Amino acid sequence: MIIDVHAHAGPWFFATDVGAAELNITLMDRYGIDRQIVSASEAVTYDMVAGNRWMAEVLEAHPRLLGYVVVNPNDLAAGARELEKYQPTGRFVGVKVHTTYPGQTLLSKAIQDTMALAAQAGLPVLVHTWDESVLGLVDVLERHPGLRVIAGHMGGPAWRTAVEAATRTDRLYLEPCCSITDAGRYRYALDRVPLEQMLFGTDSTLVDPAIAMGVVVDAALTEDEYEHVMWRNAARLFGIETDQAA
Amino acid sequence: MVRLPPVPAERHVIGIDVDVLFGAVPHRQLDASLDAVAHQQESHGIRRGLLCSLRGALFDVSSGNDETRKATEQQQRFVPVGSVDIRDALGAEDEIGRLAEAGVKILRLFPPEQWVEPGSPGLAAIIDTAVGHDLVLLTSGDFSQFWRPFADRGARVCFLDVHAYRVADFVVTARREPGFVASTRMLVGPDSIERIAGEVGAHHLAYGSRTPLHDVMPSALRLRMAGLTKQEWKQVAGGTAAGWLGEAL
Repeated sequence: MIIDVHAHAGPWFFATDVGAAELNITLMDRYGIDRQIVSASEAVTYDMVAGNRWMAEVLEAHPRLLGYVVVNPNDLAAGARELEKYQPTGRFVGVKVHTTYPGQTLLSKAIQDTMALAAQAGLPVLVHTWDESVLGLVDVLERHPGLRVIAGHMGGPAWRTAVEAATRTDRLYLEPCCSITDAGRYRYALDRVPLEQMLFGTDSTLVDPAIAMGVVVDAALTEDEYEHVMWRNAARLFGIETDQAA
Repeated sequence: MVRLPPVPAERHVIGIDVDVLFGAVPHRQLDASLDAVAHQQESHGIRRGLLCSLRGALFDVSSGNDETRKATEQQQRFVPVGSVDIRDALGAEDEIGRLAEAGVKILRLFPPEQWVEPGSPGLAAIIDTAVGHDLVLLTSGDFSQFWRPFADRGARVCFLDVHAYRVADFVVTARREPGFVASTRMLVGPDSIERIAGEVGAHHLAYGSRTPLHDVMPSALRLRMAGLTKQEWKQVAGGTAAGWLGEAL
């Protein structure tokens, strides 16, 4: 069983033809991924409302996909309406917030308010993390007791700091997908962070799942680690029902 | 446990890895010894590698290049790759001559690691000297920045850090630079490798892992699963590098 907690659907502005949601399914089949939690590339990079709307249509057609409601931190009122609209469908199980495209830093008030909004809705937040500011999430989590945050990319180049952060709070989860596959990065985290806080993500279809799968192989997971990071932790965090034994 | 998709038998072994290092890694706690690197390559099904000493890249060129030569005598799976320090273009002139005289065919440049900008006069001079000695170049650095000093010189050069986001930049450049090659390591998109092969040909691609600094399986698995013909795959998995060494595919 594999649950991929960090994926996208839709086209990108690079020289890559990955826009069709059918490609998500093709790649999931190829690498044995059972469920995938996706956000619309359009909602992340350009238009939150149009992207989320398209995502909802895709989710109706593809039951193996679950969605993140993308919230643009620059328009929190609209983001709240998006949550009210899509959370009741049961097909969206988390909130995605990016930093680059909205032009907000990770610890900006706008991003923190977005996280608080997700906490009120009882949804986990996947946030793009790519520098040392990931450590500041510890304080954010302390201020919002109901908040659960997934550090997407595990801090990118600041992965050692992300690991440090995750050892200080049990509501920060690490998702390690990254096109720069520093040797031993995932094992370093597994050896230090409580196992219940480790997740698996691919960044598909922007990135081929072979990259994340290769990282997992090189980390030489034990059976117990595999069970937890590849699906069990995600199932619990997002409330995903599976046919696997609890 | 992790179950990987089936890989055709002819893809189990990757012929040549163009991006292999050894030595000390001051910014990490890693075993980058020659034995450890050889073991990683072997355990990931990689037959041979183009090996360069980190000592030459990060500390001292001359002893680093000597260390590489000795290492490749010890471990015959590896082919020696020389290096120079771009911050000392004057010393590099002599070192390139020494390497060429010793029969070294490949020179690796480390511009970002040595804090060198794409517009560096020293870098341009070194490229000219290397091309004059008919050396193949390997270089790190963002392709969209570092393509320029290698262009219009007839250089045979493998860019080791071409990211999936730079596929278009690489293709439009490779169309007029027959010697430009992209390492596959960061061509991580579901169609990055295939797009380059389709646009400009598989001879513009070569497999690179950056052992021991990066996990090897991500790049190896991506290549093994690539949507290439048998001939294209063979070319990328070793043929391009074999051509640099004057060997048959």
